[in-house]
Amino acid sequence: MKVEVGQELPDLVKHPTTRQLVQYAGAQGDFYEIHYDQDYARSVGLPGVILHGLLKAGFLGQLVTDWIGDRGTVKTFEVSYRGIDMPGHPYTCRGRVTRVEGKEVELEVWGEDKDGKRTTVGIATVELSS
Amino acid sequence: MSTTTSVIDRLRARIGVAGEPVTATVEAGHVRRFADAIGDPNPRWKKEAPPTFLVALVPVALHLSEAEEYGKGWLNGGNRFEYLAPVMIGDRITATGRVADVYEKSGSSGSLLFIIFETEYVNESDTTVARLRGTMIRR
Repeated sequence: MKVEVGQELPDLVKHPTTRQLVQYAGAQGDFYEIHYDQDYARSVGLPGVILHGLLKAGFLGQLVTDWIGDRGTVKTFEVSYRGIDMPGHPYTCRGRVTRVEGKEVELEVWGEDKDGKRTTVGIATVELSS
Repeated sequence: MSTTTSVIDRLRARIGVAGEPVTATVEAGHVRRFADAIGDPNPRWKKEAPPTFLVALVPVALHLSEAEEYGKGWLNGGNRFEYLAPVMIGDRITATGRVADVYEKSGSSGSLLFIIFETEYVNESDTTVARLRGTMIRR
């Protein structure tokens, strides 16, 4: 498959639940209460429990590795968390090719909340194997 | 506020000082639970660790608990991973973390404390497999 600037990655839509946040907390070993304890989350000024930034990074990592398939490897992956996301709402991961130089490809990736607001933005560079 | 200033000073004194290295094996079951938690069924993760797995491998010793004297909660500002070699199941990885920078910023909703940390991951063959730079924020 030819890789060209402007090409879009297939969307990845996630439906995070509080159960998934607990599952992720256990798998990562991040037991910060804002991700599973509603009262605690509200006590620190949040509207309720929120997604781990690194869970959203994991979703975006999947977006990238699904797109690469067996064609190459990720060289850098950078994400900035710009807004909070709550379970019970769809989270859509999107991306597009922003640069192609030989085997090196740069992707712009982002995650959108249900209103289309980009709450996580990032850049990945990928090295294609041939 | 003098307490706040001293917290920042104490944290700043740690800049560049490496924490205790921590070693762990990349276990198939752990990688599977991690990929399951993300909801990523890619069969590639039966042999290899997915891109963000290293954050789950070991809790890196940074001793930032005193930063909790500042503000009331943590926020994750961002993460940057650099991959130099694949991380495969069975690899024995040593992670060493250090605080790279500490600074305060004032914004519309009050002041924030930024802690930038860096972690280097080295495998059993002494090959650096990845580096992670992260921004943790106290608000």
